[in-house]
Amino acid sequence: MNETLTVLLDALPFVLQGAAVTVTAVVGAMFLGLFIGVPLAVGQVYGGRAVRFVCDTYVWFFRGVPILVLLFLFYFGLFNFIGLNLNAVAAATIVLGMTSGAYQSQIFRGSILSLPKGQLKAARALGMSDALAIRAIILPQALRLSIPGWSNEYSIILKDSALAFVLGASEIMARTHFVASRTYQHLPLYVSAAVLYFLLTWAGVAALRVLEKRVRIKGYVH
Amino acid sequence: MLKRAAFVIACLLCMVAGPALAEEKVFINGIDANYPPFAYVDQSGKPSGFDVDAIDWIAAKMGFKVKHVPVDWDGIIPNLLAKKIDFICSGMTITKERAEKVNFSAPYWEVKNVFVTKKDSALKAEEIYGKDVTVGMQAGTSEAKWMAEEKEKQGWKFTIKYYDSAPMAIEDLVNGRIEAAAMNYPPARDAEKKKPVQIIGIFGEVEEFGAAVRKEDKELLDTLNKGFELLKADPYWEELIAKHLNK
Repeated sequence: MNETLTVLLDALPFVLQGAAVTVTAVVGAMFLGLFIGVPLAVGQVYGGRAVRFVCDTYVWFFRGVPILVLLFLFYFGLFNFIGLNLNAVAAATIVLGMTSGAYQSQIFRGSILSLPKGQLKAARALGMSDALAIRAIILPQALRLSIPGWSNEYSIILKDSALAFVLGASEIMARTHFVASRTYQHLPLYVSAAVLYFLLTWAGVAALRVLEKRVRIKGYVH
Repeated sequence: MLKRAAFVIACLLCMVAGPALAEEKVFINGIDANYPPFAYVDQSGKPSGFDVDAIDWIAAKMGFKVKHVPVDWDGIIPNLLAKKIDFICSGMTITKERAEKVNFSAPYWEVKNVFVTKKDSALKAEEIYGKDVTVGMQAGTSEAKWMAEEKEKQGWKFTIKYYDSAPMAIEDLVNGRIEAAAMNYPPARDAEKKKPVQIIGIFGEVEEFGAAVRKEDKELLDTLNKGFELLKADPYWEELIAKHLNK
């Protein structure tokens, strides 16, 4: 037991460095996903045929291909082909972000569709352009409604980020595995990794809860 | 116009800075950090092991800078070909298939392959082939490939189960999910010291380890070959063996 404890304590700083890698990748991916997901959702709901087709294809592709395959495809294939020399963490962040963008777009689309249709009509009647109405009327409401779904997405990417080691990004799981290979304390080490993920999930979800409360418009929703 | 000018300047900068940066080049050795005692991450989180120490010595002797980066074993050759790493010196067996993609240095180490069982198991090495047992091994390794091919040819009865790393196979062996594990001798010896398992016998062919480089990097290959030659002639070689492999 004592030996196990020593191993865990010794491994802690090393694995925590991995947590920094994980958090960087996940936070980066969430924001990239946001910047991709919002236009995709708007395009899917309000776009013309061509725009809808492009958005649908994007979502279909990134939801249809496993992340592991995407990581390989982009890192060893596309990025290399176009001469983009990214390190493993950056590449993993981008691929996770692009994938998350596809999933996030559906969260935003759901929120947009949940708003009464009359709002856009009323905005038009007031003389607003569609672009302005979407930016000033629709999205401020839709994004607020999306936060619960977004916290779900956060916890999913957090765990998907363990796949980044196929590119060589030494995140939590990879580092746990390294220590386990040396010490043969697999079970206690993986339990610790689980606890670490649990804490990170909890922290992120709690932060989003706070955000949800902060940006709530008084008297607007239940 | 401004954009184009910026682009031209950027290109020029690259041309000027390129060679200057090349002098500072740090060669990256991709390692499988789940492969003690050849390559692993030590208590302080630094890459360590027989191969890591050997390459550090060679780098110092031959006058180049080196960094060891843990890479997923399944993706290690794609990483090399995509220039994410510059060479692989991490207990990689020289095989014909791999040699089609990369160039190998002269062999620097030989290993046998062994079967490992739980300490209290009565299973004998020669019985494994004809029995309905499950044997674990690391996916993507030369021994796993040899085993799968020979099993097909000889009609051996056991089932192969693949793992991410040899220590994972050992872990499942101890859990009783598989009856035996197959791997190179040094990691098996390492496991024997840390887990209630035993080596019961050898199988397959003797494998030779070599460092792998991209086909076009002839100069680096020469440097590594020369380095290993010097290292093997140096007393440090015996020291390394004693430190990592015979302890």
